Amino acid sequence: MRLIFIALTVAALALPASAQQQQQTTLRIFTGGQQRPDVMRKIADEYQKKNPNVKIEVEVGGATSEAQQQYLTTVLSSKDSALDVILIDVIRPAQWAAQGWAEPLDAYLGSDKAKILPAYLKAYADADQVGGKLVALPYFADAQFLYYRKDLLDKYKRPVPKSWDEMMETARVILDGEKNPQLQGFSTAGAPIEGTVCTYLVPLWGTGSDIVKDGRLNLDTVEARQPFQLYGRMKQAGVLPKNIAEIPTDRIRVDFQAGNVVFAQNWGYFWNRVENDADTKVKGKVGVTILPHDQGGKSATCIGGWQLAVSAYSKNKQEAVKFARWLSSPEVSKMQAVLASHLPVFPSVYRDPEVLAANPWFADALPVVETAKSRPVSAQYPQVSDAIRSNMNAYLAGTKTTDGALADMKSRLKPLYK
Amino acid sequence: MTARKDLSERALGVLLLTPAALLLAAIVVYPVATLLWTSLTGVDNANPGAGEKFVGFDNYLRAFDDDRFWHSLWQTVVYVAVTVPAALLVGLGLALLANRPFRMKWPVRLGLLLPWALPLVFAGLIFRWFFEYQTGVVNDLLATVGIAPQNWLSDPTLATVAICTAIVWKASSFMALMLLAGLQTIPRSLYEAAEVDGATAWQQFVEITLPMLRPAIFVALIFRTITAIQTFDIPYAMTGGGPGDSTETLAMYIHKTTLDFLDFGYGSALAALMFLLSMAATSGYLRYTRRSAGREER
Repeated sequence: MRLIFIALTVAALALPASAQQQQQTTLRIFTGGQQRPDVMRKIADEYQKKNPNVKIEVEVGGATSEAQQQYLTTVLSSKDSALDVILIDVIRPAQWAAQGWAEPLDAYLGSDKAKILPAYLKAYADADQVGGKLVALPYFADAQFLYYRKDLLDKYKRPVPKSWDEMMETARVILDGEKNPQLQGFSTAGAPIEGTVCTYLVPLWGTGSDIVKDGRLNLDTVEARQPFQLYGRMKQAGVLPKNIAEIPTDRIRVDFQAGNVVFAQNWGYFWNRVENDADTKVKGKVGVTILPHDQGGKSATCIGGWQLAVSAYSKNKQEAVKFARWLSSPEVSKMQAVLASHLPVFPSVYRDPEVLAANPWFADALPVVETAKSRPVSAQYPQVSDAIRSNMNAYLAGTKTTDGALADMKSRLKPLYK
Repeated sequence: MTARKDLSERALGVLLLTPAALLLAAIVVYPVATLLWTSLTGVDNANPGAGEKFVGFDNYLRAFDDDRFWHSLWQTVVYVAVTVPAALLVGLGLALLANRPFRMKWPVRLGLLLPWALPLVFAGLIFRWFFEYQTGVVNDLLATVGIAPQNWLSDPTLATVAICTAIVWKASSFMALMLLAGLQTIPRSLYEAAEVDGATAWQQFVEITLPMLRPAIFVALIFRTITAIQTFDIPYAMTGGGPGDSTETLAMYIHKTTLDFLDFGYGSALAALMFLLSMAATSGYLRYTRRSAGREER
């Protein structure tokens, strides 16, 4: 008995020693606080099990895309090697390529590149290639949807709205009927943050127009005024929250799951939270559909999603690329879909039975994600974004008129589109 | 003989000063020099691969044509003009209260210290919650007296009021600490003598406290003015500069230009201009104190 015990102890001591003899690599991955770092940790644990020679550290950054990028700018401008794999917003690859922050992945993938890329949703394969170089790999997809209170629509016998006017009318009927001063008709991002760029772009795209046309600024159009006029009408009808200009993305979710919003424009993560959070009051009462459009127009939505870049200053690029490739696999796409309702980057995963069991609405989400549009692609995207969101925000706050906001937006965008 | 001794003493002096001088050069001179040099260069961020090139004073000239620079400068001036006197008054009041003779001094002193010890961003977030439209305590209080809720954070004027309130709350405690230190150096005998002569409390305050406190007030004002010129954290946490850019300060604009837009040249030029502003304000105070000190000597 004693002999066995000693033998076991010796074996137990010897095991980690032999494991240590293998080269141990530590990789540090950066993810934003909004991108479910808890799920990233679970996924990283899975990877560690398969690759005992690799230890993954998860660094959690700010909640907003801007806060994360500000931190990353300081790290990368000083050529710091602390981070190996970095989760970046879909709006950033052009800037990251221009600044040389992302290690081009072409050489690492070799002939695999041509095999891998067609499997992804096309929008992401396109977004991650800048000037023919692969700068990042897709992690999860995202798009904005219209979330609504099924129970309230049923109560007032209203159909799911197709057009903005229909939505406004339904919201008005429900607000009048419920007489709850806390209840908001329609909520969307209005604070001076990135999400507010989509608040302007979605109705603009719904008209078939865009900010840029053939590389030139395209804001001298009737359509460019449409988003302002739409929100102006909503404000007048009392459908928007009174503090719309203070509302950031996640505040919409908080208000919605407290039962205080009828219609909300938000990203994919919304579903998992409003259905599963411990404090949600709307479990089982939530519907999700495509965003409304103008009468005669076509529904449009903003593409979102997060990409995996390998830092150009990483000291373990080989291992980092290997890890990033695994994170960008159908297997991990499925894990994320089940654990966090993150939209998959592979069309095939949308039809997976386990994924559909966790997110029944994913079946209808695929065509939305496939037709979602990209915000303007630019190496100077932060300036583009700032020009759009600060003027949209000022309009929603009532400090600028349509003419004023549009003129200021144009004058700030003009130097960027010569 | 004496000459040689002087020389060796001087050499020793140089030797002893060298570490401190080198340290200062590394942490003050080098970054400032880098900033000034960067402010004379520019990078085309549409094509950063081309590298940075010398552009002379272009970045400084650009500031004069930039509406956003002038607006953020104006907004900064507003914060300075409102919060410096307000924090002085509130701080003076707190210092006078804390200086009164009573038992259990430490809870009061601790209360004075707390806002000062709190990180600025925390103060900003706390006040953001206070002024929040739906759940904020301010609108709640307004409702109890029958006033409709206000858009404290998305109306340019109200947002400025809210931000100034937060800054004054945060800054007053530091003012009070400095002034309290000044108050405690005033000998009690002066007040006793004044009482014997039949001076009222107000007369004692005007004739003894204020003049004796003047050096402390000036030091406190210089500190407050410089930090007010650099105002960043509280508006950043409360409004993010919104609505539009209406509550954006110069420091916030510099931060945005540099860290969001990656325009290091222009950002450095703006920072150099802000430094000039601080210098001008400080030297104004210093000249005033020197002049008034000279007058007293005469």
